[in-house]
Amino acid sequence: MPELSLSYVWPAVIVMFLVTYAIRGFVFAAFGGSKKPPKVILYLGSVISPAVICMLVVYCFRNTQILSHPHGLPELIATVVCVALHLWRRNPLLSIIISTIIYMIMLQFVFA
Amino acid sequence: MKFTKTVTLASWKASIPVMLGYLVMGFAGGVLLAKETGLGAFWAFFTSATAVSGTLQFLLVDMLKNHTALFTIAILTLSINIRYALYGLPLINRWRHIPIWLKLYMILTLTDETFALEVADNHPDGEDSMTYCFLISMFDHLYWIIGVVAGNIAGQLISFNAKGIDFAMTALFIVILLDQLQTKANRIPALIGLCSAIVGLLVYPANMLIPSIVVGLIALLALRSRLESAMPATEGGADHA
Repeated sequence: MPELSLSYVWPAVIVMFLVTYAIRGFVFAAFGGSKKPPKVILYLGSVISPAVICMLVVYCFRNTQILSHPHGLPELIATVVCVALHLWRRNPLLSIIISTIIYMIMLQFVFA
Repeated sequence: MKFTKTVTLASWKASIPVMLGYLVMGFAGGVLLAKETGLGAFWAFFTSATAVSGTLQFLLVDMLKNHTALFTIAILTLSINIRYALYGLPLINRWRHIPIWLKLYMILTLTDETFALEVADNHPDGEDSMTYCFLISMFDHLYWIIGVVAGNIAGQLISFNAKGIDFAMTALFIVILLDQLQTKANRIPALIGLCSAIVGLLVYPANMLIPSIVVGLIALLALRSRLESAMPATEGGADHA
């Protein structure tokens, strides 16, 4: 595994920290008085999360090989297992752990 | 602030479900960090203590591994964590009398689960609500840090073929999405996200998320009046993870 340079890791994790902290503190800083936040902010806050999570799911599959071996089969099978298990049990940890193990077995043994 | 045995025990009991979830999810995030980036316990501690976000803890592994540009990291972090901006709203008044240094800590550690427990605020009668909420923030924060650091150490010590372990992040997003889709008002925004992601993938495959987010935001704003009329009046941003 190529060594990550700390001159990249430091600024990267500090950016994540500062942005996340600023988001959490924003409301307290801006509306700590009695000002009401603009409606468009409230609207975006409630709809952006499902939209972005959906983008991230697509993003996770961006490197899937569909045209060559193994034709995205490990991803497809693990995803079906994850979705089915979650619709059945609604237990996030169970769905994540089992589907990840199945994906690892398929990459390392079945389609190796 | 009044720390008594009763309030400490009550806040700990309330945090037990979060403890189980954070230890296991944190552990998975820690293993992923060790196996995919080779970063050790210090970084497990630093990232979990400062970012305090499950989604980000998984995504940061992917971003670091791919040497994602700082600007892109900032936009991505903003997009996945923007919901936290809303969590302060119901807490502004409740937290008015909390000393600023404690408030700064509680803002830093305000996750979905901590938010849910503090809005419920089931402190025992006669005990101080602020102390109860502070202790919940602290317990949840500690569980998360312990989970990530323990997973990272285990990932370094135990040698196993970790090929494919990055599917944990995919599965995490799938699970969050399935939970969000249970709420009807989330379905059209999710569909907009799917279409924007496909556009982003076609336009700029090397860095698809930035164009996807731009297209998604434009679509969400363009459809605002239609989506808002479909939303229940009480709809908040309190979704999971």
